[in-house]
Order: sequence, then C-alpha cells, then structure tokens
Amino acid sequence: MAVALVIVSHSQQVADGVRDIAEQMAGDQVVIRAAGGAADGSLGTNAEAIARAITEADQGDGVLILVDLGSAVLSTETALEMLGLDADRKVQLSNAPLVEGAVVAAVTASTGQTLEEVASAALDAKDMTKVVR
Amino acid sequence: MEEAQFTITNSAGLHARPAAHFVRTAAGFESSVRVRNLSRDAEREADAKSILSVMTLGIEQGHIISITVDGPDEAAAIEALRALVEGNIDK
Repeated sequence: MAVALVIVSHSQQVADGVRDIAEQMAGDQVVIRAAGGAADGSLGTNAEAIARAITEADQGDGVLILVDLGSAVLSTETALEMLGLDADRKVQLSNAPLVEGAVVAAVTASTGQTLEEVASAALDAKDMTKVVR
Repeated sequence: MEEAQFTITNSAGLHARPAAHFVRTAAGFESSVRVRNLSRDAEREADAKSILSVMTLGIEQGHIISITVDGPDEAAAIEALRALVEGNIDK
C-alpha cells in the first residue's frame, strides 16, 4: 500500500473537495479520507470525525494529516490523543498548505514513498510555482 | 546516460493529472530521471520523480521536453516515458 492522507477542514465541502482533487491526482493507490465541519454540520472541526477518518485511512504505512487553519490543529491533536496511537502507528500532522499540500502528498504517496518523504514533499508545496511565465 | 526529446501532444500539457502520471512512471525506475522544457527555459532542469519539480517547468501542448536518464534501467525508463508522453497521457 501507500501512505494515506486525512484532509481536515472547517467545511465539509472543502474537505470533500480537496479529497476529490487529490484522489484524481493519485489514482486509486492512495487512501484519502475527509473530516470536515462540526458535529452538527456547521462550520467547525470535530475531533471524533477526525479520529474516525484517521482510523479508516490507516493502512499501516503511515498517515499524513493536512489541515486548513486554526482549531483544525487543536481538534486533530485531540483526535490523536483520543486514539492513543501505538508508537508503531506512524501519523504526522502537516504544516503544509491544504490544497497544494494534499495534491503533492497524494502524488508522492502514489509513487510509494515513505511517510517522511511524503510529509517533506507536502511541506515543500508552500513554495509551489503556479504561474509559470 | 541516455537523453531523448519528446513533443507534448496532450492538450493539457504536463499539468495536474498528466504530470502525476509522468511522475509515477519516472518514479518506477531506479535510474535518475531529469527533465527540461526546451521550449521555455532549456537551462532549468527538474527531477522527473518530483511533482512539484515537474510543475515548475510549465510544460504545455506543443512544447519539446528533454529527458535525461542515468542508471541501470535507463533504456526501459526512456521507453516507458516515451510511450506515456506520445500516447494518451491524460488517460
């Protein structure tokens, strides 16, 4: 398998949309789960949904979590505490930009790279050149 | 070391999905694979196994790219990339 991704956003639509874009780029070799919105469907983040997404995504080769902003980080850290992950379950929270990072991480994961390599590539997406002239 | 030049026929160039296919194909080989976009900036070289690196080349339809492969499976890598670029890369 490959490193899996979890997309965390304050909006369910944003999380699902970023997942869809990343899935198209990665083909069907990378498992990507989205956790967006608060428990009542409003804008916000939900530690339980994030924990569920991490558990579903985890294929044993590591999980990279990408977040939009603010409390998404806190909720993800809460989710990780709730899961009490074993030391051998490799899960990393990324500081990468959400869309760019997810696309780069998905493609990099699809080439069979390790969690460390996927995380590093995602972080480099901060400097992605979009307008080439 | 082997070098080959291909013309990009794909209407979307080498962006997004086609770029991802290209990177995945290159990454499947042990050899190092470098790519340059001769139609834009022939001096700038990118790692063909890195999606970020490939995207910086701004490869569009009609552009000519140069691929330099170095390693034990270089001939197979060139052929795989040729088949991908000259076939329907957007598939």
